[in-house]
Amino acid sequence: MGILLLIIWLIQDLLYLIVFPGLVVAMVLVILLIYLERKIAAKVQMRYGPLYVSRKVGGALQSVSDLLRFSFQEFILPIGSDSIAFLMAPGFMFAFAMMPLIFIPVGPYYSYLFPSTLTILFSVALITITPIYAIIVGWASDNKFSFIGSLREAFLVISYEIPLLLSVIAMVIVYRTLNYIPAVAFQETHLPGIILNPIAALVFIIVAIRSTGRFPFDITEADSELIMGLYTEYSALFFGIGMATPYIELYALSLIFSLLFLGGWWPVSIHATGLLAGLFLPGIIVIIKAFIVMMVLVFLRAVYPRYRVDQAVRSGWERIIYLGIIAVIISILEVIII
Amino acid sequence: MNLNEKVYDISEAGSIEPEGDRTIALQIGPSHPGSGHMRIKTRMDGDIITKVDADIGFVHRTSEWLSERRQFIKAIPIVERIMLPDTVHANLAYVLALEKILNIEPPPRAQYLRSLAAEINRITSHLYGIGIFGIFLGSSTVYMWAFGDREPFIDLMEMLTGARITNSYIVPGGVRWEMPKGFKEKAESTLQYMENRFNDYNDIWAKNPVVEARTVNVGVVDRNRAISLGVVGPNLRASGVDYDTRKASPYAAYKDIDFEVPKMNHGDSYDRLLIRIEEIKQSIRIIRQILKDMPEGKIIADSIYSQLNPVMKKVFEQEQRVMFPAFFNQMRPAAAESIARVEAGRGEIFFYLKTNGDKYPYRFRWVTPSFRNLAYFSDVAVGYRLADLPAIYGSIDYFPPEADR
Repeated sequence: MGILLLIIWLIQDLLYLIVFPGLVVAMVLVILLIYLERKIAAKVQMRYGPLYVSRKVGGALQSVSDLLRFSFQEFILPIGSDSIAFLMAPGFMFAFAMMPLIFIPVGPYYSYLFPSTLTILFSVALITITPIYAIIVGWASDNKFSFIGSLREAFLVISYEIPLLLSVIAMVIVYRTLNYIPAVAFQETHLPGIILNPIAALVFIIVAIRSTGRFPFDITEADSELIMGLYTEYSALFFGIGMATPYIELYALSLIFSLLFLGGWWPVSIHATGLLAGLFLPGIIVIIKAFIVMMVLVFLRAVYPRYRVDQAVRSGWERIIYLGIIAVIISILEVIII
Repeated sequence: MNLNEKVYDISEAGSIEPEGDRTIALQIGPSHPGSGHMRIKTRMDGDIITKVDADIGFVHRTSEWLSERRQFIKAIPIVERIMLPDTVHANLAYVLALEKILNIEPPPRAQYLRSLAAEINRITSHLYGIGIFGIFLGSSTVYMWAFGDREPFIDLMEMLTGARITNSYIVPGGVRWEMPKGFKEKAESTLQYMENRFNDYNDIWAKNPVVEARTVNVGVVDRNRAISLGVVGPNLRASGVDYDTRKASPYAAYKDIDFEVPKMNHGDSYDRLLIRIEEIKQSIRIIRQILKDMPEGKIIADSIYSQLNPVMKKVFEQEQRVMFPAFFNQMRPAAAESIARVEAGRGEIFFYLKTNGDKYPYRFRWVTPSFRNLAYFSDVAVGYRLADLPAIYGSIDYFPPEADR
């Protein structure tokens, strides 16, 4: 009986990790997001955007065809590169970008591979691992532009991780839990987190933009300075994985944002039961919320150019970190007063 | 807090070796999204540029050599192809030098049409520069907008001259085509469209906080330094020097036209960004005046007109189009030399032409504005950060084929 239960658990968790909201849904959403990003930016910029691949559906399959192209391109291994690190780092980067999804519940009844009451802590901790592999990528490529890109990534990581943790700590103080499900329950009985602590939401959004390299913090891949930044020497599927990783990170961060600040599966009650109301509806609502957040963040491409690395680092240390501290103070005051 | 102060000045800091052990060499280009057709050899001390050596010549097209081995009239397409975003000015500068040798004075209407074409071309040239600067800073929107808004003006040029880019519109003695019917209305609607777009450009480009953060106080070159480096055109005026060849030695119809020469004071990348928008506004004003004040008359000098054969004259009367008389192909100007200066989009073009009575020019020499602004680029970027290099390079509006000739 125990073994059977374990197998059911494993299947459930594998489905959770691979299908929903894991790899499959994440990839579909990323493909859709890249298409919409290009299409909306094109609309702003007085052009068509993707169109000629699958013309009947407005070019929606452009991202799929790009993925196929990446898959069948010739892979080039630069002579001077540290080949093992060069080959492995993108895979690890992608895997660690996916990992937080294990700990992010998209409904009240999802279980986890590692059942835990510290899901907020684990998911945020896993998010901070990816940049280490970005630095390895830059080092292994044996290219000055990649190397400068990885140095920039290192500077940025150090300047944005603390504000990220501060904004999450601020919300943890308010919710008095390190678990997502009670946090969502708290928002259902009180107010959504974005109203409880708007400063923390602002800091989280800024850090999300910065850590996923969206404009105006598209600094490590600044093409007019560093060609393609970290991925200058990459080709074929490895390049595609490298390009997809920030989008997966963005997906994870947007899920966390919608759970911590937008009330999670809010219109659906935490006590709802049944297959539809208890399982699928909350998941769909969370993912729609996360998708809207992602759309807003990628739309910044059409509005802002990029900051310089020292400006981004300096604003991280001189402004965003103080905003994070203010967010924590607001939370402490709220806890004391209420 | 000023984020953009220069980290050090290479001339003041004696302790820093531009190529010392602390530095690494970074070759930007010739195949790099941020280099254009040249190689920027830089030395970096950490994130700080200690040396910039612009290695040009990758798109040298021997325009002088080619022009010295062809009939005079055939140099027009050659000089145009060197300055593709700015064709009319190259054409005009060469024709002005040639007319001085041939002693031809074009009629007033042709002068006005030349100024009209030149100003439309100046707008397209500045929009091109704004677009390239936009993509250098990462603003793909400005890049697309500027190139898209260039289209209506290129369409105007097509209507006026029959070609979009390489017009070859200006010939010795006048211009090739009369202004077509409906041109004034179309020009007016295009100008109004552009004027309405300025607000959008302000929102997303000139007043964008990120653009200001990237360009204010970056690449500062003060008045004296700009003069001593021989900077020309909008870059010179952004440093506060009130010099414009259109005012200093008027050509075409500019002596009859009332316009201002915008100038800035600080000489940083942001001023160089703003001055191009201001110059577009002045060009719009000039085009309106030209369309209002355009005198009636012939578009070709009488000395050329008298050489047209009857068929050509008939074409001229019916279509208002100048067919080339044999004189154009066979002209052998007496031994003489002449210079011409024209204020092109990027600055002053200088032309020197020497003839010795042969069918071909004896010496054909020209200096393009991008070439003069290059010294400026190598000098000004030292001491700034790597990410400032595109901000400076884009603001100078450097066009490598133009400098390489």
